[in-house]
Amino acid sequence: MSTTTKGKRSGFHLTSAQNRRLWITIFLAPWFIGFIIFLAGPMLWSLWLSLTNYDPLVPNTAFVGLDNYREAVADPKVQTSLFNTVFFAVIYVPGTLLSGLGLAMLLQGVGERSGGFFRTVFYVPNVAPAVAVGALFLLLLNGRDGLVNRGLEFIGIQGPSWLNDSRWIKPGIIAMMMWSVGTTVIIFYASLQNVPKQLYEAAAIDGATGWQRFRNVTLPMISGSIFFVLVINSIASLQLFTEVYAMFFGQQPSGAGSEAALFYVIYLFQQAFEFFNMGYASALAWLLFGVIGVITFIQVKTSKRWVYYEGE
Amino acid sequence: MRNTWRMVSVGVAAAFVISACSSGSSSGGDDDNDVNSSASPTETTAATGATSATSATTGDATPGEAVPASGELFAFGFGYDTGDIIAQTRVDEFREANPDVDLTFSEGGFDSQGFLSALASDDPPDLVNVPRNELGTYVARGVLAPLDECIATHGVNMDDFYEGASSQVIVDGTVYALPEFYNSRIWIFNDAAFEEAGLDPETIDVSDWDALADASVALTRMEDGKVTRLGLDPKLPEFLPIWAHANGVDLISDDGLTAQLDDPAVAEALEYGNSLYEPAGGLTDFLDFRDTWDFFGPGNQYATDQLGGMPMEQWYLNVLAEASPDLEITVRALETRDGEPFTYADGNSWAVTTSAANPEAACAFAASMVSVDSWVAAAQARDDERAESGAPNTGVYTGNAVADEIIFNDIVDLSDQPVFEAAVEVVLDIQQYGFGTPPSPASAEFKAAWEEAANQVLNGEDAAQSLATAQAEAQDAIDSAER
Amino acid sequence: MSTAPADVDTSGLTAQPKSERTPAQIAKRALFLLTLAFFTVLFIYPLVWLVFASLKPPDEVFSAGLIGSEIRWENYTTLFDLAPIPRWTLNSIIVTFLAASSVTVSSAMVAFGFSYFRFKGRDPLFYSVIATMMLPGAVLFIPKFLIWDALGLNNTLYPLWAGNLFGSAFYIFMLRQFFLTLPRDLFEAANVDGASYGRMWWSIALPLTKPALVVVFILEMKVAWTDLVGALIFLRDPEKFTLARGLKAIIDNPSVGLESRWELLAAGSVIVTLPMIVLFAIFQREFVEGIATTGSGGK
Repeated sequence: MSTTTKGKRSGFHLTSAQNRRLWITIFLAPWFIGFIIFLAGPMLWSLWLSLTNYDPLVPNTAFVGLDNYREAVADPKVQTSLFNTVFFAVIYVPGTLLSGLGLAMLLQGVGERSGGFFRTVFYVPNVAPAVAVGALFLLLLNGRDGLVNRGLEFIGIQGPSWLNDSRWIKPGIIAMMMWSVGTTVIIFYASLQNVPKQLYEAAAIDGATGWQRFRNVTLPMISGSIFFVLVINSIASLQLFTEVYAMFFGQQPSGAGSEAALFYVIYLFQQAFEFFNMGYASALAWLLFGVIGVITFIQVKTSKRWVYYEGE
Repeated sequence: MRNTWRMVSVGVAAAFVISACSSGSSSGGDDDNDVNSSASPTETTAATGATSATSATTGDATPGEAVPASGELFAFGFGYDTGDIIAQTRVDEFREANPDVDLTFSEGGFDSQGFLSALASDDPPDLVNVPRNELGTYVARGVLAPLDECIATHGVNMDDFYEGASSQVIVDGTVYALPEFYNSRIWIFNDAAFEEAGLDPETIDVSDWDALADASVALTRMEDGKVTRLGLDPKLPEFLPIWAHANGVDLISDDGLTAQLDDPAVAEALEYGNSLYEPAGGLTDFLDFRDTWDFFGPGNQYATDQLGGMPMEQWYLNVLAEASPDLEITVRALETRDGEPFTYADGNSWAVTTSAANPEAACAFAASMVSVDSWVAAAQARDDERAESGAPNTGVYTGNAVADEIIFNDIVDLSDQPVFEAAVEVVLDIQQYGFGTPPSPASAEFKAAWEEAANQVLNGEDAAQSLATAQAEAQDAIDSAER
Repeated sequence: MSTAPADVDTSGLTAQPKSERTPAQIAKRALFLLTLAFFTVLFIYPLVWLVFASLKPPDEVFSAGLIGSEIRWENYTTLFDLAPIPRWTLNSIIVTFLAASSVTVSSAMVAFGFSYFRFKGRDPLFYSVIATMMLPGAVLFIPKFLIWDALGLNNTLYPLWAGNLFGSAFYIFMLRQFFLTLPRDLFEAANVDGASYGRMWWSIALPLTKPALVVVFILEMKVAWTDLVGALIFLRDPEKFTLARGLKAIIDNPSVGLESRWELLAAGSVIVTLPMIVLFAIFQREFVEGIATTGSGGK
């Protein structure tokens, strides 16, 4: 039995139960260590920092209570960045949901074999590194000769100045992010494939129209995926950073994007690493955590009303 | 070691473009110097002779005890291995004079994020190549050391530097850095465009804002509703300090402690500058077009007749001289509305950190990098390089007026390039009238505030109101940094 | 790009029934194909355009037409001359490989711990693992920076991958699903033969879940290769940059005022993107499968 393995550990003897416990510990050890060093520990540390005026270059760190949070709430940049972020999320999340679902249904109509191919094609933009996507769209979105506006001109529309007009910067960013809708398409496509065919057949026999079938069969059957996409994309969109930072921030010269494209995590990053106001930035991080928590909580709570789980 | 970063090391500061452009032609010119190793023993002995010679001639004032420095030295924000001969020659001069110093560079241009993170690390830099416009912030944070003693030891005479440069590195009467390059701005006009518009670039009254506005209209060329030549580029928000100064006010008081953004003259300047975008169909059309230019190449906006004129840093002449040597351009000094010539100057500077492990060597290095001998040697080296490639040499613009005099009298010879010769003359004349943004304890926040206000105005918001908000923000930031 | 169906799908072959079609159906079908073609162009063409833009002369990057007046390969040599691309590529390869292998092994360990063994408190503990997936990464920027700084490892490549030695919730979740599908009898037999739990994991569980491990490895390769935030936070010296960080430096640095060298920007973007496209071309099944099961590109 299991005694053979213990032969190596001459000197002391493990019972089978002890041996089992030892192995459980070994298997889970990476997670425990990582959890303490890279998750729980940092979170507590960050919570503490948010109550201080910590700056790595200043030797005396003082406890300032909730001052950072108070300052953040009154900070006009926080308001700007929060507005930008919410603006983005409110359009991007439903936009991805709808277009992702639309494209997935389009793929379903192609038949399974080719559907798989086009699914791959639709996913290709997601393969490009975010920073390269940012660089690419700096070129594509040029208001004069960019590919996007050339395309629009082709169908008779004069495109706006996506990079220099503060009113059009966020729409341009939304368009850029929607280009990577492929992930959502894949999730919905997989989910659509799993809808039992009999349900459609049964609905057809009952004389249901296309819309009714969609409304009464498809939607409930994929509501779990919709919910999942909704939650994941909401969280991700509130943390939008890389593409936009690559385009408008870092050592890029100041322009209309400095304000119109200032998203929350970008401002947080600036405070933390460009100005080294780490106490304040920690407070910003926890505020974000709070906002994401509340939004996710609401989504989970309301989901009970419309998400259909098999077996319930 | 060879794989050091060449492009990026040319930093944010305009000074870097000189290297970017010079390395453009000589980009193949890899050097085999290993930045991270100290000089070999043979080099050391060979160089000792040169040491005494150099130290004997360093500076005009009496050198103090210019004993060769030693030990490890780590400089942040400077790229040695860029193939830039101006940087390399001066570093090599220092190495020769101080063979016992083990010198390393971060090999990236200055960026505040990297600098702060380097300071917080176990191996903080001894000295830093920092833009003078940002110096005040770091002085206020206490990360830069006063250089008064260093200056005395190395016999640096602060009067050698242009007033517009030295005023930027002195905070409360204490010197915190030594000015390196001196970037001044001038008008660069496109002769062909002016001629076509029936204007004379030599005589147009640049102090007359109405005349400039008219010229901007006349110089603009539209085809099928699209702008194909911009008239005059006011270069906002970046150049707001210039337009404000021309209108009789500076954005911040001389002591760097009082923001003056709410002065009506600033609003007027901003609105005026903004109006120069109108002939092209508005700011966004203007910028969208400008974004497509081949700024550094032979297809640049002057060569391809895409621009009537703009105020620009003088190093750009070097770019043009190399990219399109047969260009017909006219360079004019900036003038206030009262007709006084002026220029807005900035550039990098060398500062020693308070966390320096080797402040003596850091000081020696800083002093050496901006010394007359070092600059002259570098200018000569570039001249030799250019002579070989046949490209014109429009010179190096240093913060050191004494060095400039030697460089432009004895080294730079543009007699066969009349266009650029005339241009350089204008630049040299104007340098003495340079003003720089005074060091402020919140220089980063201050700049962010006025840039933001300018961006808002460019995007259609009310100038007075945006500037009032910026004023409050900037003053807040200055006050809390000052505390 | 060809629109011919490629052999990429495993879900079976259900050809369209070849019944006769009315003109209306044919028109519908044509419209349908047109829509497909439109989206295919929409998703692919910008990348094709990027490749060609990187080969154009500097003043033609924005010109109409895919191909410039000449094909300038020297844009790439210029870029290699100006930036240490080989160094950055090497750094990216190191980080990507170490990040992917460490997260695969560690996640597989933890996932096995959570699937094979039944112990008190296992499910709540597992849910806590899942819960951490919801944690916004931004909360951890600063403390992670400070931790690596305290270890003296900022400005090295370690912070970009070593955290992966401790598993990742997404992959743990995903691999656990796979481990749960393995028949328990296999392990019981091994147990009888006296194999240790470690051996069972290594020589039974892992080989049987190889496809899933490949998925994890590939997804994490993409995550590590494309990561910019980490590189921005932890790397300082251009020598240490990864390609993604290097591309950001290329975007930033040649711009003075507002002027950039667009053809070099395009070339840099191609260099960063191409390896991912190749990876995707080889492992598209794994990508798709990974996303369909974890619901994300590993992010």
